[in-house]
Amino acid sequence: MKTATVALLLLVGGCSSMGVEPWERDILAKEEMQLTTDAAEGATDDHIYFSKEASSGGRAFGGGGCGCN
Amino acid sequence: MDGHSAVVAVAATKDRSISAALATATCALLGNSIPAAVEAQEEPKWDFNTSLLYYGEDENRVQDLSLKAIIRRMFVDDRSLTVSLTLDSLTGATPSGAIRQDVPQTFTRPSGNAAYEVPVGVLPLDDTFKDTRVALTGNWQQPVGDTSLINVGISASKEYDYFHLGLNGRFAKDFNKRNTTFSAGISIAQDEFDSVGGVPIPFTSMLDVGDTSNRPEASRDKDVLDVVLGLTQVISRSLVVQANYSYSSESGYLNNPYKVLSIVDGTTGDTIARTNPGPLLGPSHEFVFESRPDDRVKHSLYTQAKVFLGGKVLDTSYRYMTDDWDIESHTLDVRYRWPLSDRLYVEPHLRWYSQTEADFYRLSLVDGAPLPAFASSDYRLGAFDAITAGLKFGWKTANQNDMSIRLEWYQQAGSIPGEQLIGNQASRDNYPDLNALIVQFSYRFKL
Repeated sequence: MKTATVALLLLVGGCSSMGVEPWERDILAKEEMQLTTDAAEGATDDHIYFSKEASSGGRAFGGGGCGCN
Repeated sequence: MDGHSAVVAVAATKDRSISAALATATCALLGNSIPAAVEAQEEPKWDFNTSLLYYGEDENRVQDLSLKAIIRRMFVDDRSLTVSLTLDSLTGATPSGAIRQDVPQTFTRPSGNAAYEVPVGVLPLDDTFKDTRVALTGNWQQPVGDTSLINVGISASKEYDYFHLGLNGRFAKDFNKRNTTFSAGISIAQDEFDSVGGVPIPFTSMLDVGDTSNRPEASRDKDVLDVVLGLTQVISRSLVVQANYSYSSESGYLNNPYKVLSIVDGTTGDTIARTNPGPLLGPSHEFVFESRPDDRVKHSLYTQAKVFLGGKVLDTSYRYMTDDWDIESHTLDVRYRWPLSDRLYVEPHLRWYSQTEADFYRLSLVDGAPLPAFASSDYRLGAFDAITAGLKFGWKTANQNDMSIRLEWYQQAGSIPGEQLIGNQASRDNYPDLNALIVQFSYRFKL
């Protein structure tokens, strides 16, 4: 637990030196640079792979809600 | 006031009242005080994300035609309501879990009302699979202070034999000039399996047509808890990365009530023929219903990086998953969005997936041997690799709406652990490999 806390603090500390100024967000603001660009496609894929594989989620909640034979 | 303005005014009042009611509900949930009413600062907007999907497996296995609409209504102050509706129409056949034989096999249908025959050497598929699924979600999102946002939602879905109801919430906070975002989400759900013909008792035999004595209960439940902790970090003007840890716990009825295992001879590996089939129509061989543990805990780590390379965007993600059923999986996903003009792009997609089998995965069970605590021959709990390869074309219409079409091939190839193959099984193709075609047309427009 202690190690995890130290690791998290280092990570957050390390992150604070990264990044851009608010006026440098021209590229990051583009639609194609969003982490999820196509919500319908993402939800569809999550459902397909949930139904056909033993793993699910990761990107978002594990999904589910189907009998999925 | 003319008729048109009156309609607009009524609509605006209605919007504000919906917005206010949802804000009140959210704040009540969060235990916050209700914020002062805010006058409209700009015109509210609608965002419609719609798609039509065809998913089809070869050899007449599962076919799905799915219609989806994700509708987002944006209110003032970055508040929004998102509602999604999905309609699935499923038909086709699905592996029953029994193995191929050199003789014809007869099975009682899941309903218990009829039987079906599988020819010599053919993988037993249950071809009564037909379902319609309706899924609804609703999520309300709003900022909390200057650097945080909260999202609360509900999800429900219904199939002929399945009902799902879930609640979810997510909190995200920005740090470091909004370059770092920490998020935490929780989701709880209760699902109910209303198995056709009743829920069979695990490890009991498939019975004759009309005999439901091993199906005392009409339905069984399971509870699902998911927790996701995420960190998103902007690295540079053209690189953003994300890492998520997910915990998922399921408890209750985790079996598939339609899956069976073949009971085989310990030397030949052939399925045992029923000695006293009786006068009624029923199974020709010995099959028992599967038995899975009644809980499962999964952990997964998901990482994603998105980089802008002179107009093109490379999107890469990797997921590692492990659970207490002894399944481990690796998923690598790569997309490359390549603009061909200001309005047109092409996006190749490759996904590679590999999983190990669950510790209770069994191709078959040996007649006379002591039963293991759990066993399932569901191919999705076996060891397999899968590849998805696809291509998407996207374009902006003259009025700045987005359209896209994607074509993808999904292929699974599995293997049975060598020590599980008995006698004649070694010379048969035991794993139900899967080939599927995915075609999706999407249209996104804003009003």
